[in-house]
Amino acid sequence: MSVGGLLVAVLQQVIDGVFLGLFYAIVASGLALIFGVMDIINFAHGDLVMISAYFVWLISTYLNIDPLLSMLLVLPVLFVLGLAIQKGLINPVLGKEPLIQIAVTVGLGFVLQNIALGYFKAEPRGYPNPVFSEGLSIGPFVIYESKLLSAAVSVLVLFLLDQFLSRTKLGLAMRAVTDDRSSAMLMGINVERVYLLTFAVGMVLVGVASGLWMEMGQVWPYLGTSFSLVSWVAVALAGLGSIRGLAVSAVIIGIAESMGSLISPSVKMAVVYLIFFFILWFKPRGFFAKR
Amino acid sequence: MLTRSTLLSIALFQAALLAVGFLVSGNNYYMLLLTQVALFAAFVAAWNIIGGLTGQLDLASSAYMALGGIVTSLLWMRLGLPPVVGVWAGGAVAAGLAVLIGIPTFRFGVREVWYALMTASLVVILNNLFRYFMGPWDFYLPNKWGWLYLRPRTYFELFIIVDVVLLAVILVNIYISGSKIGYYLRNIKEDELVSEAIGVDTRLYKLIALAIYSFITGAAGFLQVVIYSSFSYRLFDAGLAISIAIMGIIGGLGSISGAIAAAMVFRALGEYLRSTLGGVIPGLDLLLYGVALIVVGILKPEGLAGLFNQLRRWWRK
Amino acid sequence: MTKRFGGVVALNDVTLSVGRGEIVGLIGPNGSGKTTLFNCITGVYKPDKGRVFFMGRDITGLQPHEVAKLGIARTWQKVRPFRNLTVLEAVTTGALLRTDSVEEARKTAVEVLELIGLPREEWGRLGSEITLMEHKLVDLARALATGPKLLLLDEIAAGLRPHEQERLAEVIKKVWSDRGLTLVVVEHVMRFVMSLSKRVVVLHEGRVIAEGPPEEVASNPRVIEAYLGIKPV
Repeated sequence: MSVGGLLVAVLQQVIDGVFLGLFYAIVASGLALIFGVMDIINFAHGDLVMISAYFVWLISTYLNIDPLLSMLLVLPVLFVLGLAIQKGLINPVLGKEPLIQIAVTVGLGFVLQNIALGYFKAEPRGYPNPVFSEGLSIGPFVIYESKLLSAAVSVLVLFLLDQFLSRTKLGLAMRAVTDDRSSAMLMGINVERVYLLTFAVGMVLVGVASGLWMEMGQVWPYLGTSFSLVSWVAVALAGLGSIRGLAVSAVIIGIAESMGSLISPSVKMAVVYLIFFFILWFKPRGFFAKR
Repeated sequence: MLTRSTLLSIALFQAALLAVGFLVSGNNYYMLLLTQVALFAAFVAAWNIIGGLTGQLDLASSAYMALGGIVTSLLWMRLGLPPVVGVWAGGAVAAGLAVLIGIPTFRFGVREVWYALMTASLVVILNNLFRYFMGPWDFYLPNKWGWLYLRPRTYFELFIIVDVVLLAVILVNIYISGSKIGYYLRNIKEDELVSEAIGVDTRLYKLIALAIYSFITGAAGFLQVVIYSSFSYRLFDAGLAISIAIMGIIGGLGSISGAIAAAMVFRALGEYLRSTLGGVIPGLDLLLYGVALIVVGILKPEGLAGLFNQLRRWWRK
Repeated sequence: MTKRFGGVVALNDVTLSVGRGEIVGLIGPNGSGKTTLFNCITGVYKPDKGRVFFMGRDITGLQPHEVAKLGIARTWQKVRPFRNLTVLEAVTTGALLRTDSVEEARKTAVEVLELIGLPREEWGRLGSEITLMEHKLVDLARALATGPKLLLLDEIAAGLRPHEQERLAEVIKKVWSDRGLTLVVVEHVMRFVMSLSKRVVVLHEGRVIAEGPPEEVASNPRVIEAYLGIKPV
């Protein structure tokens, strides 16, 4: 392959990586919000995206509409689901030791995976005719409309989230609880309600992510595993506290993963894992306990 | 801490297990199933060292199992090294990888979620890597039989080998429990900060527990390959790793009898589900494990062992 | 030394010296930096500026377990329960710092528990089953079992009733003379500190504002002002 050809291939991956990264930012934002506010370690985050993606697929297939539209219909369902999961699963384990917390969410993820496996079987499902499926040619690069749209939606949602957290009452309450739970309580913030709503908002973000994903690709029962890993790595890289920081790390991960796929598609998760490993070795600041 | 009552319990357990073994030795399906259940229990008992005693949520059991098993198999297939020697290498490789991941992750102050994440991802990554480098095919063990290759001619003899391993893991657990290492590990599980303050190098001891557990799992991994008579990338099974951890938790973290009881009961139940409804609803057995974990986590985190203790105390009143 | 957390300067150029065999009191209102100081000494935090010397050796930045091995032990302000361990197990674990044999460690633990005066019936109880006072005693015993030369007591009297405090003070004095220890006692409860220590250091907002014998410090106007509201001796 010529140098020019190689350069084009690499840059193509960078572009795709940016799109992928922006998508990952949405996925990770739900996790970061929940982890930051509630200090709960949710291992099932990716699997929640997966289940949501199946919802989107079901609605798209039955009503024969584009996944992005189905997504809008799915969001309220997820909000309610979020309230239910928080009350039923998360709340009971909030005070308990971290291992039990993690274990319960691992159990949740495991259950979701196997429900999906049992009900939908293992073959990937996708919506065959999304509205935006064309690939635009810009110079030597190919940019898919769906990816472009997904990136645009991601940026919009991230911006809205940022505004929500810095300007609305609920958003500020969430940030106060993230910083210092006891002080927040003393200031009159109903922490339990904040927890409930945080999880629900987190699930809405999960819904958005799933809609975007179904616009671009397919869903299968084990889709969630890689999403979980990427979300946590993004949180590890960025630390908690800023949406911007999270978006940047997610994009970095997206680019790294895309570059990895130049070597081989199977290897790209290994690249993400290696990033994680190296962050842990050299710059573990995001990993340490809040003390 | 090998007390008389402990020795008695072990003897009873072994007697019961061997009795069942004799009973089913005529039926190949049940013999192999019993062997698989016993091996699964051995993996759970090994996991108890890192999960139950030390309180670290390790989700990579199947990665170490597969890695050890495959290394042993390859040493046999490519270099002619008999597995009876090769399993030591397999265990060492698995332990080496485990410790490599543990060194940065077990630093004092690093939150437990990162270890769970690293280990959960390890299985998936190795699965992908193995598939990439070795291909998607099944690799069959050579047609050689005998105790030298840890591959006896009869299923009953294989069951005996697995039982010996299970017994060995139980004894290792008991020995560690009563030693200085055990005291330190329990303290780490209870409170890391205090442990450091009373002079425990928490990272070192976590690594020791990890090395012991991963070595055993890696070495015994070959027996899993023997049961399948082959190996492939699918041996790196995330669902299996999670299942093993689940059993350790349901049994009651730290209780070796709880872990083994949970492992055997659920694995047998799971097999039943798989054989009856598995064709129609795949993953039903795993679904059962997941639900059980959630129920235990929310309602009774002390697990089966905790339940048993409560019953005992209630009976004494 | 100096220690910052983000924008907050928890310790601002604090110097503390302790002579062998002394009992030094360290007092100051909440948030004055007492626990931070302990944490810097024991290696839980690393000071941004300054050094820690112990018996002539620079121990700044050592890991907590290394500091413990060198002979510094501590008790905890916020009770850290050992819910699933028995009293004897907890103290034995402390004693394992100086021996590899569980048998020997247990003997040491028994010795220490007897010295502290915790009744034998309590030794088999789990951490989740004992009272606050017993907890403090076990905490002390566990720290002692590690065979320290310097013992840091972080608000050990907190939450105890006056007669319990008196008993604790007696135990501490006994332990101090029996083992030839050096003590630094952080306290909020004035009476406790004054009865134990010969020399008192006062911290306020991360700085040392007074130092000297207890009676002098207690009547120091700056100290009274800093405390505003605490009951004097």
